[in-house]
Amino acid sequence: MRLPRFEYLRPETLGQALSLLAVHKDDAKILAGGTDLLVRMKKGLLKPKALISLKALNELSYIKKEDACIKIGAGASLADIIASDIIQKEAKALFQACGKVGAITLQHYTGTIGGNILQDNRCHHYNQSGLHRSGRQACHKDGGKICYARDEADRCNSTCQSDGATALMALGAGITLARKGGERTIDLADFYTTDGIMPFAIESHELLKEIIIPVQGAKSAYTRLAYRSAIDYPIVCAGVLLKPSDTQKDKIDEARIVVGAIARSPLFLVRESSSLKGKNLNDTDAFKKAADSSMNSASTFAVHNVGSTLKYRCDMVSEMVFQALKKSARAALPTKE
Amino acid sequence: MSDYTIVGKRMPRVDSRAKVMGKALFTADLKLPGMLVGKIKRSPYAHARILNIDTSKAEALPGVKSVVTGKDTKGVKWGVFAYTRDQQFIQIEKVRYIGDEVAGVAAIDEETALKALDLIDVEYEELPPVFDPMEAMTSQTELIHEDFANNINVHVNIDTGNVDENFEKAQYIREDTFVAPEESYFQAEPYAIVARFDHEDCLEIWCPNGGPHMKSKPLSNAFKIPLHKVKVRKIAIGGAFGGRSEICPVDYICSLLAKKTKKPVKIQFTREENTIATRQGHAMLTTHKTGVDKDGRVLARETTCYMDGGAYSSTGPIATSVPFLSMEQAYRMGSVRYNGYRIYTNKPIRGMIRTHGRGFACGLDTQLDMIADHLGIDPVEIRLRNSRQPGEYTSTKSYVDSCAMDETIHKAVEKSGFKKKWGKLPPFHGIGIGTNSVQTGFPMGIRGGSQSFIKFNEDGEATVMSGVVDNGQGNDNMLVQIAAEELGLLPEDIHLVSADTETTSSDPGSYSQVSTFVGGHAVKIAAQNCRAKLFEVASKILKVSPDKLAAENRLIFVKDDPEKSIPIKKVVRISLLNFNSVNAEGGYWPRVDMKREWVKNPYGQMCEAFSFGTTIVEVKVDPDTGQVEVLEATAAQDVGYAINPLVLEGQFEGALTMGGQGGMLTEYHEWKDGRCLNPTMLDYKLPLACDMPPKINNIIVESVDPKGPYGAKEAGMSIAMSAAQGYSAAVSNAIGVYMDSFPLTPDKILAAIKEKKAQEN
Repeated sequence: MRLPRFEYLRPETLGQALSLLAVHKDDAKILAGGTDLLVRMKKGLLKPKALISLKALNELSYIKKEDACIKIGAGASLADIIASDIIQKEAKALFQACGKVGAITLQHYTGTIGGNILQDNRCHHYNQSGLHRSGRQACHKDGGKICYARDEADRCNSTCQSDGATALMALGAGITLARKGGERTIDLADFYTTDGIMPFAIESHELLKEIIIPVQGAKSAYTRLAYRSAIDYPIVCAGVLLKPSDTQKDKIDEARIVVGAIARSPLFLVRESSSLKGKNLNDTDAFKKAADSSMNSASTFAVHNVGSTLKYRCDMVSEMVFQALKKSARAALPTKE
Repeated sequence: MSDYTIVGKRMPRVDSRAKVMGKALFTADLKLPGMLVGKIKRSPYAHARILNIDTSKAEALPGVKSVVTGKDTKGVKWGVFAYTRDQQFIQIEKVRYIGDEVAGVAAIDEETALKALDLIDVEYEELPPVFDPMEAMTSQTELIHEDFANNINVHVNIDTGNVDENFEKAQYIREDTFVAPEESYFQAEPYAIVARFDHEDCLEIWCPNGGPHMKSKPLSNAFKIPLHKVKVRKIAIGGAFGGRSEICPVDYICSLLAKKTKKPVKIQFTREENTIATRQGHAMLTTHKTGVDKDGRVLARETTCYMDGGAYSSTGPIATSVPFLSMEQAYRMGSVRYNGYRIYTNKPIRGMIRTHGRGFACGLDTQLDMIADHLGIDPVEIRLRNSRQPGEYTSTKSYVDSCAMDETIHKAVEKSGFKKKWGKLPPFHGIGIGTNSVQTGFPMGIRGGSQSFIKFNEDGEATVMSGVVDNGQGNDNMLVQIAAEELGLLPEDIHLVSADTETTSSDPGSYSQVSTFVGGHAVKIAAQNCRAKLFEVASKILKVSPDKLAAENRLIFVKDDPEKSIPIKKVVRISLLNFNSVNAEGGYWPRVDMKREWVKNPYGQMCEAFSFGTTIVEVKVDPDTGQVEVLEATAAQDVGYAINPLVLEGQFEGALTMGGQGGMLTEYHEWKDGRCLNPTMLDYKLPLACDMPPKINNIIVESVDPKGPYGAKEAGMSIAMSAAQGYSAAVSNAIGVYMDSFPLTPDKILAAIKEKKAQEN
């Protein structure tokens, strides 16, 4: 496996990086940790003319609390996020999710939160070598018009397996996208397209700069299933957030249920989330109902393309959501004095 | 065995330090002056006729030094046996799986070589492929190999007689079918080879291998050069697991490119190539029909096994036999009939693998548990009633000399607390037992024996030459320990020259678990012969007869009066000054039945010794997710004699990892139209260290084989084989369902739990 040739650019400031992006646009890719990008390049799935490395860029590696928000620079390493007291206390789901990414060495030395959110969707028919992809028609994501994961699909059904994105969407996070001369902040839930070919609503001259997590006295949790205990993508995962009511501490004021590794993007399940409003924090029947309903809602998007079996992954949506709800409810319940 | 000073002791391996410090050089690390990079053009179709290959554009690319195709091979075909020669080194008429070799390129660098591959135009006519072995037998489409009707590559039939009569006498009969998909080796080191022709037209190659002499002979045949001109060199090897014994097309292609370019050529496989274009384990569908008497003793068994062999024969006849042989060694049977079919499909080639026959063995053991359940006896008891005993003959007429199968069962049962736990564990918590047996060698004809040479240097140190290869299991250390023990030296005094076909004599290789028993034995005899020469000289100096002498710690001394001694170094120097040779040789040939043949005559003495192993596993299953948590694994094996208990424990733990944790819980391949969907380490779920059970009990049982060196025989494989059985039995016990489809992935476990619940309601 060999990397194709590319120009290596190494800006030292955010301004320089954005200028380079403005010039190269589609011809360039951002290189953060490289754990996702370089593997795809070696497989010949991607041949950018230039890589803009963020290695020398130190200004995006912060984690701070500001204006009732946690702000994380997109270049923060997964290890820093795991070690952060703020994240552990107020964004538990993200702490739990980052701890599951790759392995400890990868969290320390290469993986960044920005890279984790922007890791490309995967599919076991697409993430393959040139030999594997030859001798058959190209799939949608590979520039063709066919989907090997779902018969007669008119678009790409690749799966988003980001642990971090699922947790962040549950936390109601927003992201700031910078470009030369400006920036915009959007809800992470609005960041996704409905096509697996290009799953993110990001312009080619934009750079993911910051992740903003609102701190709202809520408790969150992240659960996932994989075959191995490390170096494995989730085959299904769930992030949830439960905010107790200000007046009745054992009642749910707001809930967010997000299911990941099952569709083109993490799925924020609005109906299931709102079904929990006003419910008691120990109402496991309501949790079970919301979890089963989550399974039904999420299953319609699922295809067999990241290992295990489709039936098992869909069945496990319910279990992962249920477990995550129980975990965060336990944390949210007022402690008896 | 306290008589020994070095053998039998826990000793860190002689090769470990270099490996853990990253100093050991593997084939991919080799750099020779002027070396070119080789790449292989592979078929993108599962089954197709080759109409034309145009290499002109590739040849015209600057930097390309040679392009070879089937036209350059002169139609030579490879097969382990004369009757299975079905694979051309480069295909010229037809391709039979996605990955089949159609051309090779040598260029100045990798980028150019890869570009050249894209410039080779191959025109194909697609043929209907067949991927399912059962379908392949009845398919009306073009045969994969025209000489093999119904796509049946090998049929092994074994019949001891009286099977039908004994079924009539049986009190209880069960017939069950078990399935398991393909698995892969995932050696830490992807395959790589460097080849060059030197100034004397000798072919020199470096590559991971399961036996250098098994590589040199077919290369000598293919290039029509004498055997002494093929020099397979020693190099550090990152694993074989049964998959690197035979020659592969890449060995030939790399050598051919070296010959044509007159330069060294290196071909380094990608992880995907290592998975799809070397060998894989066979997928199997096995039906066991077993009849027992009222006490659960097996009176009759009929087993039919269909194995998906992939595109070519490889070790087909051996592979079709071994799963059966392991079980006929482990268990007594009143009578048995076996029909094994290896079937061609348009999938990668299947060969031998350390855990070959997991579906077969797990099926047989699961059925034994079902029978025990029916008769109201426990799994331990039914095994003890059927277990192999010393002094018996197997069903195919191999005499079993040393055998401590029962001791492995008893010790594992005691250590694991099986009797206290069986039937008393809480729901979804289970314990299970598996037993197996492995051959220490096969009849290998002219390559069945090993010879060693030892020379003393004037400084009192010794050079030991042996054809034995170390591909990870610790063979180098084993040879050093044996030589040091017999010569009275310390391990650091031994310089080992091994696994090099120029300097060492023919050897069966590490293949068939025979390295210690045959190769180690040869070194032992050579060292004893060498020591005898020194004793002869020393006896004159010490003025006692040679039989009164012993050697230890660099000294030769009088046994009854150890103060009377002389340094070995001095004896060597005195010998040389007095015109005495201080070199010696020794060889060992196991007395097997040379008339035994896999297909034509599968009866007679298979090998001189068999190992026996028991694995007991305790698990907890999450009833909501079907995920398995392994709490404890206990592995007990009769190894004859433990030459190095430290290495052996590592073998046991590796065996549990590959056979049980991976082999039974997570490892299998997924396919789409002949394409392997999980050829990489990310997608093929090998267990990691952190996935392993927190508690592993290793129990070494020593039956001291009368023929093995120090009593040693095969060590580790009976755990690799029985681990899958122990894991599957434990999961079945935990969920209360006998599972018939392996490996036991969470989706299958969860479905079984749900089905059981539905039936109960």
